[in-house]
Amino acid sequence: MGKSANTRGSGKGAASVSRRAFLSKGAAGVGAAALAGVSANEARAQAVKWDLSADVVIIGAGVSGLAAAITARDNGASVISVEENFDIGGRGMLSGGRVHLGGGHALQQKAGIKDSADQIFKDWVRHDATVARYSDRDLVRVFADENVPTFNFLVENGVEFIEKPIGPEAASTVPRTFVTVEWQNQDEIYAPGGGRNGSGLVRRLEQSARRKGVQILLRHEMKSIVREHASSGKVLGITVAHPGGTLNIEARKGVIIATGGHTGNVNFRRTFDPRLTEEYQQACLPYVFQGAKGELAAMEIGASLWATANQTSESGAAITKTRHVGCRWGYSSLVFQPESKLFPLAKATGLTVSDWQNMIFVNQSGQRFWNEVDGSYRFFAAAMAYNGDPSKLNGGGPIWAIFDADAVAREKWDPKPPHVDPDGYFASADTVAELAPRIKNPHQKKPISGAVLEATVNRYNSFVASGTDTDFKKPTPMFKIEKPPFYAAWATPILHDTLTGLRSNTNGEVIDIRGQVIPSLYCCGESQGGFAQHGLARCLSFGRVAGRNAAKGAA
Amino acid sequence: MTRDVPAHSTNVELSEPVPPELPVGSELVLQVKVSCAAGCDLGAMPLTVTGPDGLVTTIEPRCGHDGAPGDTAHQDNTLRDITLKAPLRVGEHVWNIGFAAHESEGILHEECMLPVCVRTRPHATSLAAWAIPSPVVMGERFRIKVGAKSSGGCELKGQKILISDQSGAVIAQGRLQDTPWPGTSALYWTEVEVPAPDQEGMFWCAVNFAAAEVEIPHERSSSKFSVAIVRPPEHRLTIEVFEKESKTPIEDAQVRLGAYGAATDPSGRAELALPKGTYDLAVWKVGYEAPGTTVDIHDDVSVQVEAVIVPPENPDAYWLM
Repeated sequence: MGKSANTRGSGKGAASVSRRAFLSKGAAGVGAAALAGVSANEARAQAVKWDLSADVVIIGAGVSGLAAAITARDNGASVISVEENFDIGGRGMLSGGRVHLGGGHALQQKAGIKDSADQIFKDWVRHDATVARYSDRDLVRVFADENVPTFNFLVENGVEFIEKPIGPEAASTVPRTFVTVEWQNQDEIYAPGGGRNGSGLVRRLEQSARRKGVQILLRHEMKSIVREHASSGKVLGITVAHPGGTLNIEARKGVIIATGGHTGNVNFRRTFDPRLTEEYQQACLPYVFQGAKGELAAMEIGASLWATANQTSESGAAITKTRHVGCRWGYSSLVFQPESKLFPLAKATGLTVSDWQNMIFVNQSGQRFWNEVDGSYRFFAAAMAYNGDPSKLNGGGPIWAIFDADAVAREKWDPKPPHVDPDGYFASADTVAELAPRIKNPHQKKPISGAVLEATVNRYNSFVASGTDTDFKKPTPMFKIEKPPFYAAWATPILHDTLTGLRSNTNGEVIDIRGQVIPSLYCCGESQGGFAQHGLARCLSFGRVAGRNAAKGAA
Repeated sequence: MTRDVPAHSTNVELSEPVPPELPVGSELVLQVKVSCAAGCDLGAMPLTVTGPDGLVTTIEPRCGHDGAPGDTAHQDNTLRDITLKAPLRVGEHVWNIGFAAHESEGILHEECMLPVCVRTRPHATSLAAWAIPSPVVMGERFRIKVGAKSSGGCELKGQKILISDQSGAVIAQGRLQDTPWPGTSALYWTEVEVPAPDQEGMFWCAVNFAAAEVEIPHERSSSKFSVAIVRPPEHRLTIEVFEKESKTPIEDAQVRLGAYGAATDPSGRAELALPKGTYDLAVWKVGYEAPGTTVDIHDDVSVQVEAVIVPPENPDAYWLM
């Protein structure tokens, strides 16, 4: 867990490895060997000494990895699953458990919903929906055909659903979302009491995987994927690091990358959007870090990215408004209550905002930048805009919610720990001028001027008095920020969905930068590019596809 | 020194530079190191500090000098803490940290002196103005609350606070009360009555605090606030807000017409007094959406607003198109 917070460091490290691997032509197999502390040439000459061996090796025991593991087992393969975290589930453990599968499965039928695989395909290649527009239609076709089998797979493996359809949502034209039942054992979940029903999905899959003989190695972090040659030949296995040392794990039939997305890796995510500098936190930390490890390991042996337009299509939840202000990880639907085992890391629940009229947002220089009640990508663009600091050209710096004692009363907040984190994410003061210099955070490089913040607040208060926000057109600004004490709470946008990743074919086989299959390497889940649907359904569907095909060996 | 003993020069230095300025009356903790050019351990030798007032104090070695567990300066046990208290006077002040000549075991450690120069500045002050009614009818008097805060948390009771208009003329004044405003650490406050100008429009005032009568030096400060000044009301506007489907009254909806605003009562009603004119009416309540309308006030008017329930956004449903 300790390493998970250091997003910046991971990003830099990852980049330097990647560059070396691409540049040194002579160092074939460098991805595998160099990271394990053996030179590339040695590794080739000696052949890797395998410590463990299985037909299929799966990197990551989250939603897609667990689905892949069970499916590979069901297809007769022996399976080792390595997970870098101390527990399984990945982001699925903290998700809302909303599974967007349709096609006419049993629960849809029970609710009288007519649906088909063809309808799913038609919906998810819609040109008028940005969540569907940029997807690879070959993959959408596979997804559509796998919906009913995936739903049945979940039921067969013990996943329970609340029988209430939700939707239609996003590009879908019929209701397809069904929510899983939360895991019943409160000791085995990390955000109890918050509707994190995804725990029921991943715990059920874990239970089934273990019963079926999947070997899950926790705290085992993949370091490299071993391929016969630097950019040719078959994938043979992986190297991993664990608290006691390192292991080489042979995959006789295939390696499946199910490592999750890249959202937490600052260097990697800036490939798609240079504005996403280090101040933007990743949803689901401090439980699970999305470090692009699978993408990077695959790219080191020649893999390509795919459908990258999805990442910046400005739809869905790639960037979200921080709904719990005054804590570091105030992602929309996720609160770590003091009862959570993760609370010592999360440090605060945040103050949950019910009405954005109760505050103004200011940027790192203490100035308003947009209408606070907006939550669209226009808001995010303004939050990440250049705001005059020559030492901060990319990204917009921290965003702070500024409010007063009246707002606290209206929202019924108790602005003290454990609700706020005064160690860099929350400040209070008797006056606005005194509040400004108390705003301290590693990403707030210069203190906010008291005079500037006071002028910002006074100007906004005059808009409330007159009834018109002439700066940003906030619809009828309602409440002044005037009654002491005053507060500043971290409200910097938080990043969620990874919407692009590795290129794969319809079998889930990873494709290299020349358009050729990398034999015995598969991907699924958020590490896979091409289909930008949010959430669990695509991870489950393509996890099954990868597991099935890897178990078969050469597809 | 008449005997011929070997002499070692000594040096006193600070582990970190001294901040160039400090607020009056504040404390500064310095880490001081005394060393011998020949490498002798001087950690057990006392240091003296001569303050700006001429007072001399002796600084004993840090406990744990012998390297016992708990010694915070385990890397360099000649480091020791010295606390300096800045005078209440603004200006430049010098402390002299000295090591007195000392002879033992046949070695003379020579004296040395390190002057530490610090400028003191007054405490800052800052202000707040709240409970400002809006709008205010031109020519009428209105009451507001104002408060002042010393950055040093000093008591400001009885201090004078002035309100001036856009021209700088003082239009109201008051003295700060005995206790800070509830919920604040040291915001001393009072209530003042301010006359509104005879013209409608946005009226900017300044709260001014000179801190002239405080014993400890404080900087003056000034802060602005605004008031919407309006013509005298002529008519009553009654607004009723209810949910469109069920016709249930909606309580605590914010009703705004330009500078005029109110919240609805349990029966969904809000009443406002306004002069003749045409106004844009906006109704705001989380969970509801109400269309904006234009209201023409030429007589006592009653307006009904139908609000539609907006289902609470499911934070998990991130499906924007």
